[in-house]
Amino acid sequence: MNSLFDAKHTWLHSINPSLKLVTILSLFIVAINIHFLDLMVGFLCVILLLFIFATGYSYKQLFILSLPFVLIFLSTSSSMILFGKGETILYKWAYIQVSEESLIRGIHLGFRALSFAMLGLLFALTTKPVKLFYSLMQQFRLSPKFAYSFMAAIRLIPIMVEEYQMIINAQRVRGVEQKNNFLKRMKRLAIPLLSQSIRRAYRIAVSMEAKRFQSDKKRTYYYKVGFSRNDLFFISYFLLMLGLIYILSIHDPFLPSTDVRYLPE
Amino acid sequence: MTIITSVKNLRLKFPGETEMLFKDLSLSFHSGEKVLLLGTSGCGKSTLLQVLSGLVPHTIDIPMKCEEIQIPDRWGFVFQDPDTQFCMPFVDEELAFVLENLQVPREEMTSRIRSLLEEVGLELDDIHTPIQHLSGGMKQRLAIASVLALKPDVVFLDEPTAFIDEKGTEQIWETVKRVWKDKTLIIVEHKIEKILDFADRLIVFTPGGEVLADGDTSTVFSLHKEKIKKYGIWYPGAWDEYKRIPTVDNKFELRNTMKLKNFKGYRSKENKIVVDDIMVHSGEWITIMGENGAGKSSLLLALMQLIKTSGNYYLNDVHVKKTKDIFGLVYLVFQNPEYQFLTHSVYDEITYGLQKHQEEGVKEILTSLELTNKMNQHPYNLSVGQKRRLSVATAFLQKPSILLLDEPTFGQDSVNTFKLLEWLERERQKGTIILMVTHDRHIMEQFATRLWEVQNGEIVTDHQLKEEKELLDEFIV
Repeated sequence: MNSLFDAKHTWLHSINPSLKLVTILSLFIVAINIHFLDLMVGFLCVILLLFIFATGYSYKQLFILSLPFVLIFLSTSSSMILFGKGETILYKWAYIQVSEESLIRGIHLGFRALSFAMLGLLFALTTKPVKLFYSLMQQFRLSPKFAYSFMAAIRLIPIMVEEYQMIINAQRVRGVEQKNNFLKRMKRLAIPLLSQSIRRAYRIAVSMEAKRFQSDKKRTYYYKVGFSRNDLFFISYFLLMLGLIYILSIHDPFLPSTDVRYLPE
Repeated sequence: MTIITSVKNLRLKFPGETEMLFKDLSLSFHSGEKVLLLGTSGCGKSTLLQVLSGLVPHTIDIPMKCEEIQIPDRWGFVFQDPDTQFCMPFVDEELAFVLENLQVPREEMTSRIRSLLEEVGLELDDIHTPIQHLSGGMKQRLAIASVLALKPDVVFLDEPTAFIDEKGTEQIWETVKRVWKDKTLIIVEHKIEKILDFADRLIVFTPGGEVLADGDTSTVFSLHKEKIKKYGIWYPGAWDEYKRIPTVDNKFELRNTMKLKNFKGYRSKENKIVVDDIMVHSGEWITIMGENGAGKSSLLLALMQLIKTSGNYYLNDVHVKKTKDIFGLVYLVFQNPEYQFLTHSVYDEITYGLQKHQEEGVKEILTSLELTNKMNQHPYNLSVGQKRRLSVATAFLQKPSILLLDEPTFGQDSVNTFKLLEWLERERQKGTIILMVTHDRHIMEQFATRLWEVQNGEIVTDHQLKEEKELLDEFIV
């Protein structure tokens, strides 16, 4: 596999994937309901701590993987900073109006988007798809029909990427790029790519049934995905840390602790 | 002997087709028989396997009707394409998938997986190996292992070696013969050399889906050889009987040269092929042989400037530096013809990129392709052989100085193969340099003038075949 995604196996990797999924989804909801900048910063730090020290990836890998975060932060925060409502005007030029309120709210939004992205990446980096689907089948009774279809589809992705390159090359030989525009070219790529993929998916489906795959029949599982002490640790980490930043923000606020939402008096 | 699978008066028609594929076909197979089914592509052999295994109509929805059908209780199916018969990413997970379907307890799985892999001769250090890292031959043996797990009485094999090189083919058949010695095997296969001695019954189909002959191999071939030959079905000795058109040497219309010096090709920064110093002239037909992954395809891609290259590459004394320098001069025919089709009809495909005044020759080309009545069809709707012919014809239209071909005869019937090779031979006599990657020894023996053997990214052998026949014999031994 790509060296960018090679990692040490840490406790974060051995957490029950379904539990991890549910925890992260609930953290998304928590993030939406945070309206104080200091809480948001604290929340981000809690995730950052895990992201940097517990994923088993090297700092270099993490750095490269985090590069898109800059874009995420800028794109979500900038529009709120530049055009948001507010009373204490800091800077004004044409339609652009930066106020203290909009600045804080923009940064808050940027951090929220960052925490979403980081949580998502945290999950993706430490969860094997196969284990996730085995866990969903065992913990959430996901129908094997869907689970194995998804696993088969994931297997097809690298084959498709390879094929995409091949088709581009094959068409370049016929002189495609010299003559046609981008849109026409995409159309030409889509047809062979789709037709091959559909055929391939169909063949895999037939071969799965030839191996006696029946979605309604009882089955045994090669991977038994259960729970461990790590799961408890994972949940308590978030509960304790989130509680800690909450108490901290009440007793010893290190940032102006005001509601970032614009509430005109 | 007991009959283990049979079908009586089978009628089957593909939706949208006017003709029935099978009309009142009746066949039965005894337990323990090794049956080989032969026929041209599209005659329905593969569909018959799917009917006998019950895949049609339960899984594959094709309308069919029959008076009686006996589907074996325990059967397995080995498919053609090594990349589309697995649904899991790792070797152990794939075999576990089959065991899970059979409700084998989890504790027994690892040992079962190990013994299955051992049985098919797949010795892996770690059973948790990505399937992607296996060669084609190994993948097919993994497919055999997963069928073994089903403990079948009848095994259907649908051209299991079609995409596999010679060495892999041998390993596959060696494994099949060993593990299913006493089982019933029903095999569809084009490359019959390796299994003819193993089959004790041969059924030949006409292109219309009727049984032409049914009996033991030697009788069938001696009684029906003329018809088999006419249909384009490969038979033992097809190559020996083939008389190639005589060569006229040194009368080239064009004089092309290609010179490579310290030429290297890279794929994702990795050096995949090195050519020290090589000179090629008009009149040469070079076959490039070597194992899968040795660097043959990389060599073609490098010559086509589709991957990063370094070193010197001269074409007709022009230093090639980028793709533009060779456009129109070098042409690469890909293994899968569908990749190179750009338009929605055969006619447009041939006229693509041509100037108006050149279009007069199109009729002629269509006639020689035997595609005049398919002129308005979508290229994807053509048969395997027609697709290949069309893709090679589009190459000829560019009148390249160098024609690169990647396994052009794969999966082609004998009539098509010979026709294709004769075309190429004619182009060679005009002065086009031909470089062809192939696993077929016969092409090298009968057509090539030079042989390159590629190993680990290097051309390790470079033989002039015409002058040094002795060396060739040595190579084959």
